[in-house]
Amino acid sequence: MKKNYISMLLFFSLILLVACGGNEESNGSKDSSGEGEAGEVQISFSWWGDTGRHDKYNEIIDLFEAENPNIKVDRQFGGWDDYWDRLTTQVSGGNAPDVVSMHQFYVSDYARRGALHNLNEFVESGELDLSDFPESAIDSGKIDDNIYMVAKGITMPGFVYNTAVFDELGVEYPDFNWTWDNFIDKANELKEAMGDDGWAIGDLSGGQINDLRYYARQNGQDVFTEDGKLGFDAQVLTDWWEMWDQLRQDDVIPDAATSNEYEGLPLEANMFATKKVALLKLPVNQMYLYEEQMGEGEIHAVRHPHIENGGTGEYVEGAYLSITEASQHKEEAAKFIEFFTTNEEAVKIFKTEQGPPAGTEASNLVIEELTPPEQRAVEFIQETVEISEPAPYAPEGINQIETLYADNAEAIAFGQKTVEQAVEDFMNEAKSIWPE
Amino acid sequence: MGKFKSFWKDNWIGYLFLAPWMIGLVTLTAIPMGASLYFSFTNYDMFSAPTWIGLDNYTQLFSDEKWLESVRVTLIYVLIGVPLQLTFALFIATLLNKGISGLSLYRAIYYVPSLFGGSVAIAILWRQIFGGNGLINNLLSNIGIEGTNWISNPNTALYTLIVLMIWQFGASMVIFLAGLKQVPIELYESAKMDGASPWKQFSKITLPLITPVVFFNLVMGIIGAFQAFTPAYIVSGGTGGPLNSTLFYTLYLYQKGFTQFSMGYASAMAWFLLLAIAIATAIIFATSKKWVYYQG
Repeated sequence: MKKNYISMLLFFSLILLVACGGNEESNGSKDSSGEGEAGEVQISFSWWGDTGRHDKYNEIIDLFEAENPNIKVDRQFGGWDDYWDRLTTQVSGGNAPDVVSMHQFYVSDYARRGALHNLNEFVESGELDLSDFPESAIDSGKIDDNIYMVAKGITMPGFVYNTAVFDELGVEYPDFNWTWDNFIDKANELKEAMGDDGWAIGDLSGGQINDLRYYARQNGQDVFTEDGKLGFDAQVLTDWWEMWDQLRQDDVIPDAATSNEYEGLPLEANMFATKKVALLKLPVNQMYLYEEQMGEGEIHAVRHPHIENGGTGEYVEGAYLSITEASQHKEEAAKFIEFFTTNEEAVKIFKTEQGPPAGTEASNLVIEELTPPEQRAVEFIQETVEISEPAPYAPEGINQIETLYADNAEAIAFGQKTVEQAVEDFMNEAKSIWPE
Repeated sequence: MGKFKSFWKDNWIGYLFLAPWMIGLVTLTAIPMGASLYFSFTNYDMFSAPTWIGLDNYTQLFSDEKWLESVRVTLIYVLIGVPLQLTFALFIATLLNKGISGLSLYRAIYYVPSLFGGSVAIAILWRQIFGGNGLINNLLSNIGIEGTNWISNPNTALYTLIVLMIWQFGASMVIFLAGLKQVPIELYESAKMDGASPWKQFSKITLPLITPVVFFNLVMGIIGAFQAFTPAYIVSGGTGGPLNSTLFYTLYLYQKGFTQFSMGYASAMAWFLLLAIAIATAIIFATSKKWVYYQG
């Protein structure tokens, strides 16, 4: 019997040990997602970007924390690709940040699956005051009349070039309004001037389906339709891939292995910054980064090439903030979003980091303090927003479609499939993801 | 019933002490496994409730070309990588077993790659070494050969990962070394007297006597290789490219589950992998009677 007592004693001391260890751990995890010290609330905020952006956002967050001493903001950031991988994992694991950065392309994957909080209530009650936002800016964050995200900045992609590079090559700058035919001529001209030193532009045939989207829209179609079906036909895809395949065969754009090698490299090492290519498709809010990095010439943007008498490719794009449905502190999160997008000091730090602020007053505040490349970006955005036309939100499964598109484009680039085969394979499989 | 009662009475303290680990095993391993088995029969996107679809996920596997591709890539990785790694490990172990001085130092040095070989840093380093302007091509250009970009070429990308696996030979080398030390030295002495060549000694004495160690390393190596993930994920930037040439089974599983929201499908893939590893291991065990010799 005595032996039993000793064993019991040992056992309970063990339990105590385990329990204490556990306690410490739960305190630790509280720090990252819940209440820390008395009355203090911790929210988390995640975004994508480079080191420059991280510095700016940290500065804004510091300001917010100084004004709201009872709220602490946990900061999570990473590159674009990693950002989305991580967000999926976090959301599915139930530990998504309270405030997440969002994008038109992915918002529906999250909103339609119930991972994002409907912000209508906050906006109506004035808790999230968006009175400075023009109607169109608020609408751009809506899905079916529900506000799921608030614009940090509005931006548009353009084709950018460095004046010094063009001058050195003796090639004339492209026209602001140019067609795909002009583009192909210019690309060939560039290649001729560059010789073996580089290529006209990186391969846009497969990286992001958004590139195809412009082309499809110019053909009066789209990647997807309002009711969640495939929005383009085989002919559009064939024309698109054939154009790039021809450019590749003429060595005007890099071969597949070279493209692969440069994939996902940071700004300072990518093909445009290292002058391996002379043109780049880029959200224009990033123009100033390249001008700083390259150290000579000016970065200018022209419109996406278009089809003569065709439709408009442009639609309003931007970077947004959302609150996740799993958040325990939605009110604080809303407060943070309001601060980030409308506070005078915050906006002055933000400037045009992800495009000019969506609010009217906010963007007026910013415009005076801009550097020349940032001003050029704002002008470009104003001009293209003017001509842009509304676009449907991506249905569920856009991730799968994007992978399918990239796989087939790569197969053409490496010479594994003909354009014809790739189009057929794509169309067949796409129909199993988005049934007709 | 009575028997059970007395068993419980005699042993309950033992189980009490086991409890913390039993609880860990159940909550951290058994329950998640059970959940994934259930999900593998459902359509589950991680946000909304799973819906039962029976064996659909499993039957879909065989018509999924990308899945077949990932199986092919993984089989090549396992079937070429593991034997090469073991051969290399055995080769180094044999060299170290020659009675050189400073053995423990060498053993430690050769073991180092295995310690951090699976890390992200090494995978990034690999990208640099085998890149277009990487170390390998610089060396090759010194002797007048122009190398390709090994990582970006679909024909060579997988083999750079196999080289990475071989490079992590340390763990199996240490075990081989221990096995080699067990071989009785008098066998070599008498073989030498009979005039056996070094190769004869190796193939007729060493190899047969260390087959239990080869067997162990083979099983562990195959199980590990089937589950490899990090090198392919980092070297290909998570895509399994170029042209799916490094699309490891686990990488495709990850893509399905976490970037395409098909967790049910991914779970089915995981269970299929478990089955495949179990079968591969069973086959090795079944054949082991024919080629593994236990002394005494």
